[in-house]
Amino acid sequence: MDILVVLEDNHGSLHRMSREAIAGAQQLGESITALAIGQHASLLADKLSGVDLAEVLTVSHELVSSYNADGYAEVVRQIIEAESPQLIIAGHTYQTRDYMPRVSAKCDIPFIPDVISAEDGSYVKLVLNSKLNATVSASSDTVILSFQSAAYSDEDLVPGSCASRPFEVNLDTAMVRSETEEPFQEDAGDVDLESAELIISIGRGIEKEENIPMVFDLANALGAEISASRPVVDSGWMESFRQVGSSGQTVAPKLYFSLGISGAIQHVVGMKGSKNILSINKDPDAPIFEISDYAVVGDLLEIIPKLIEALQTEKNS
Amino acid sequence: MIEREALELDILFVGAGPASLAGAIHLKRLLQESGQNANIGILEKAVEVGAHSLSGAIVDPRALRELFLDKNDQDFPFEAEVSEEHLYYLTDNKKIPFPFIPPSMNHHGCFVASLGKLTRWLSEICENEDIDIFCGFAGTELIYDEDRIIGVRTGDRGIDKNGAQKPQFEPGADIYAKIVVLGEGTRGSLTKKLIHKHNLMDGRNSQVWALGVKELWQMPAGTVQSGYVAHSMGFPLGHDIFGGAFLYGMKNDIWNLGLVVGLDYKNPGVDSHHEFQNLKTHPWIRSKLEGGKVIAYGAKSLPEGGWYSIPKLSVNGAMLIGDSAGFLNGQRLKGIHLAMKSGMLAAETISIALAENNFTEIKLGDYEDRMKSSWIKDELLKVRNFHQGFDHGLFGGLTNAGIGLLTAGRGWGFKDRLTSEAGHLQMEKGLKKDRYKDLQFDGTYLFDKVTDIYHSATSHEEDQIPHLHVNEPDICITKCAEEYGNPCENFCPADVYEMVPDGENQRLQINFSNCVHCKTCDIMDPYQIIDWVPPEGGGGPTWINL
Repeated sequence: MDILVVLEDNHGSLHRMSREAIAGAQQLGESITALAIGQHASLLADKLSGVDLAEVLTVSHELVSSYNADGYAEVVRQIIEAESPQLIIAGHTYQTRDYMPRVSAKCDIPFIPDVISAEDGSYVKLVLNSKLNATVSASSDTVILSFQSAAYSDEDLVPGSCASRPFEVNLDTAMVRSETEEPFQEDAGDVDLESAELIISIGRGIEKEENIPMVFDLANALGAEISASRPVVDSGWMESFRQVGSSGQTVAPKLYFSLGISGAIQHVVGMKGSKNILSINKDPDAPIFEISDYAVVGDLLEIIPKLIEALQTEKNS
Repeated sequence: MIEREALELDILFVGAGPASLAGAIHLKRLLQESGQNANIGILEKAVEVGAHSLSGAIVDPRALRELFLDKNDQDFPFEAEVSEEHLYYLTDNKKIPFPFIPPSMNHHGCFVASLGKLTRWLSEICENEDIDIFCGFAGTELIYDEDRIIGVRTGDRGIDKNGAQKPQFEPGADIYAKIVVLGEGTRGSLTKKLIHKHNLMDGRNSQVWALGVKELWQMPAGTVQSGYVAHSMGFPLGHDIFGGAFLYGMKNDIWNLGLVVGLDYKNPGVDSHHEFQNLKTHPWIRSKLEGGKVIAYGAKSLPEGGWYSIPKLSVNGAMLIGDSAGFLNGQRLKGIHLAMKSGMLAAETISIALAENNFTEIKLGDYEDRMKSSWIKDELLKVRNFHQGFDHGLFGGLTNAGIGLLTAGRGWGFKDRLTSEAGHLQMEKGLKKDRYKDLQFDGTYLFDKVTDIYHSATSHEEDQIPHLHVNEPDICITKCAEEYGNPCENFCPADVYEMVPDGENQRLQINFSNCVHCKTCDIMDPYQIIDWVPPEGGGGPTWINL
């Protein structure tokens, strides 16, 4: 085995960033093994049956039936010990950030997180508010990586076939010091901008707090997440976890739909990795247009209601 | 009652700038020589030494040579020796060389340097000599025992924007010391309180300030001569605003371009950042920047008042050094050597005070005596009336400076002392004029404030009480809007202050996380209702080479 990709279970389906991690791994090496852990392990393995992989390992021990950091870290450690992969890869999700440093410490393998590209043992990361790219290499032959959202595209997954193999792990309760309860969704934690495929983002051009519900209507119609630029959050119209930019989140959805955002560099560094950018702004000279794929010069307060209406009509027909 | 950690030191410097670092190093050595031992600590609000250090800078190596007798100029972390020097008067599109460079503007034998690099270098020496530097901790309160200062309290961490404690709340520590040395730099927040409480400016001229705004430009290889120095007057400020531009060649093809603007202008609409952008529209400057890319931005105020604006330097248990005490030669545009020297002179007094275990005002007053018999006085006395002359415009100022050269510093040739008036009092009501109608930010050479701030790499913990305290916010929307047109939006070089619509009216929004810690608002606000206090430790710009 050259590369081990650790998968993330998203309520029985495969996390988008896990698929991206496999796509990235396929560009880096020949022999790729995926690892599915938990109650949905075989379900996840099935979903990968059409992908070109050496195999999918499944671990379905009761102590890791749902996610816990201690258990996951120990499982990954045992697999590294048994299979000696050269690269261990995962998507840079919240979960990865939780357990992967533990794997790194347990196995004494360097962990290079949030990588945007990789080639021949050198790995590129964004540093200093995404102002610079840093190329990092590891002092050891074995390295753990996590890929930033959208660093690779799951559309590039190489099709093929693979079989799955159950892997027996030795876990006891002494190794797993925490107990996982039923997952629940807190209002705030509900928003996962980093893995959203479609984001509607609003800026100062929304003018008034009273105009915000309209944007939520549009988001519902499109199935999008909502984010905002700084002035909207500063005004208290939107929660701070929705802020995108250098002092907020970094996002890279398939479509970033910006409404009334001027495109100050502090905002742009948080979303410039988006696949497609569609922007509406009254000011034809707004800097956001320089990085937009589709630019609409116009008043969003006129456009949004019409857009919602059009979406409704299409839905009904 | 919050339980605070207490730390006992012998000597505490506040602010790891050149004054404190040089003072601490000198003190350590004096103590070794006299067989004493003492714990010396330095508090620094920035995340690391140098991250809040900004200066031109051309350094006179005099103090460094005195501090490091065993080193040569080549050992100091300078960019280059001044190799070529120009002084120009700029019209809108031409540059006219001055017929000669006056001795006070002659930088022969001085060095182009980055203050950030210099302070980092000094801090390494401190570490090697067992001087503790506590980075990421701001001094927020002076601790008194009756009328004697016995320590400094550092800021609490983990207070949210409503003033409530967050889960990671960590109360500030009380650091006790026999002597607290304030080297906070320009318009220090503890210094301000100390000066006020002990009336240290009594009988002095008001301090007057300027604001320096600068950018670093990375140029194509082989295009920048390191050690090149040019200064200019005239465009874009004209004759009514004190100040001028500088262009210095650094190592690795980096231009260091800046503009100093006196904070005693009349038009409340003056915006130093915008003046600086205008400077870059001048054909000569533009030709220098052709093909380059901006890599850093910063701004810092500087005390320009000179000799007569230096406060009383000691009180029971505390002393003032460096920019906190106004040690800057406005005519030579230099203060680093004076700051270092003041720290070193303070160290000499401290060494004696420790030996005698006497920390009274009278004992510590020995520092002021030493200063008055040192070259600091020789240098500052000669230019003691320099800035005051510019109250009469550029040509008045130059005439006064010229006569001063011939009369060892007399004002207009006969007056021993010209007075000054605080800059914020000179702003004229109802006079706000837009000087920037034609200024277009092209994103290549000219940048709006928000873009420049990005290049200052500034960040603050967002969930905290804004560290710009506006004591009577009603004044902003009533009196100030009417009388001065809210000059905070203009004088702040970091877009911290913004008047935003609020229903029918306006309200002041404080974008505190943009703050580059230049202190201009605290200085220039016409009603003096803004109090700049340190944000949670570690916040602020992360300058590398400014």
